[in-house]
Amino acid sequence: MRTFEPSATSDPALFRSIDHTTTKFYVTVGVLAAIVLFAVFMYVRQVVLGLGVTGMMQPVTWGFYIVNFVFFIGISHAGTLISAILRITQAEWRRPITRMAEVITAIVLAIGGLHPILDLGRPERVMNVFLFGRLQSPLLWDVTSISAYFAASTVYLYLPLIPDIALLRDRSRRLRWFYDFLSWGWQGTPRQWKVLSRAINIMMIVVVPVAVSVHTIISYIFAMTLQSGWHSTIFGPYFVVGAIFSGIAALFVTMIAFRSAFRLEAYLKLIHFQQLAKLLLAMSMLWTYFTFCEYLTGFYGGEPEELKSILYKVTGQYAPLFWLMVACNFFIPLVLLGFRRFRTIPGILIASIGVLVGMWLERLIIVVPTLENPRMPFPSGIYVPSLTEISLFAGALALFALSFLGFAKLFPIVSVWEIQEGRALAKVEMEERIQSYLPDEQAGHVQA
Amino acid sequence: MSKPDVHGPWYRRGIDLLRLMSIVLMWLFLGGVITWMVNVVRVSHSLGDALTVSVGVSVVAVAVYTLVAAVLTYVFFGLQRGRGGPEK
Repeated sequence: MRTFEPSATSDPALFRSIDHTTTKFYVTVGVLAAIVLFAVFMYVRQVVLGLGVTGMMQPVTWGFYIVNFVFFIGISHAGTLISAILRITQAEWRRPITRMAEVITAIVLAIGGLHPILDLGRPERVMNVFLFGRLQSPLLWDVTSISAYFAASTVYLYLPLIPDIALLRDRSRRLRWFYDFLSWGWQGTPRQWKVLSRAINIMMIVVVPVAVSVHTIISYIFAMTLQSGWHSTIFGPYFVVGAIFSGIAALFVTMIAFRSAFRLEAYLKLIHFQQLAKLLLAMSMLWTYFTFCEYLTGFYGGEPEELKSILYKVTGQYAPLFWLMVACNFFIPLVLLGFRRFRTIPGILIASIGVLVGMWLERLIIVVPTLENPRMPFPSGIYVPSLTEISLFAGALALFALSFLGFAKLFPIVSVWEIQEGRALAKVEMEERIQSYLPDEQAGHVQA
Repeated sequence: MSKPDVHGPWYRRGIDLLRLMSIVLMWLFLGGVITWMVNVVRVSHSLGDALTVSVGVSVVAVAVYTLVAAVLTYVFFGLQRGRGGPEK
């Protein structure tokens, strides 16, 4: 096995976020912390006054919190799944991207996983899941799969971080004990590299089915009911595709923000964005195909309740949001990512923000309209989110940004050792791999 | 690669203890998950409520957690055994 010794002095730009703290950083942290604190205040107010402070009522008992839960868990697919797939396929352009993707997963899973608790009027009753949970309920499948995915993703983030933590341990004066503890005695010996590589290889295989199962199971909390607009056999893969789609968009926004903030232009080059943009465009086409199938089969079947739900979304109350979703998830990515001329970093940023907006709308359009039009003889209702729900949504977004900044202050957001390994070993390995793909020169000469 | 030692033996022991605690915590977490799964299967049995489904789901969940804990333990002991010399 080939090994090398990463250097803490070769790529100072990658330690910039740890070494230098600017006024801009403090201001950003202050603003984000203020938003989070306001959200905490609004949540405490909700716990004291009850769910009456939200826009939820009969028959719409799931609103922003469940929409955001599905949205955030979807974004978590950015990381581990993309990182694992790029590692498995040995895509060399993955090196500056994987760390950010893995961090997004861990943070967003933690934030998304809290949302069902926000949706409980009495949060202490979450203990009932552990004491009296029923494992045949998709809600409990969600709890188990999301917690398993969180555990697997955190380990998958931590393992490739170990050599970088050891670099920090050896170069830092502050928090040395912290890095020393987390480095687990890493010295970069051949035996240690072998152990770490083997563990990363196992984890990158394990996280793929776990990640796919998570969003499939999230779709089941809708699809396993007999509600119109929810009861669909394609909801599992439809949700997985949407999750990867929104995940890549979130990864782009994060990459562009950190590239600009920490001057990482030399590491996150245009080629990285263009390669990943092709994947985003492919996911856009796949999402459009699934949406078309989902709506066409329901419409063609003509079942009265199903038709009512579809028309309510496409031509009724939700029509502006529905068509905005189609524009954001299909037309904008098609134009901005489909033509080389527009596939620039600003173009990719606009397309990614569009996709995030579109995918959030998609979650809203799945969750709320069905509840507004119940099959049972209940009066229909219109859901309008309250200030509490909007504040908690803003708080969740701010918490995500704050957590990412916190991570960047402690650890390199681009994997130092993987970049250096790429320079030292990957070129030779690539040549050998390409050689192994090609037929020998003598292979074309058939013996007469 | 490592800097010269600037800390006493107590520092090294403290760090080793923290590291050991991190892996023990992982197994305690796994123990908590298994206890939870056993409890919900027991509830399902006492209510006569889809026992086989509960057992099936819990077996899959416990297997995933066990695999994650096992990989982490393998790395922990692998890195300790693979050290070239005493830590500074």
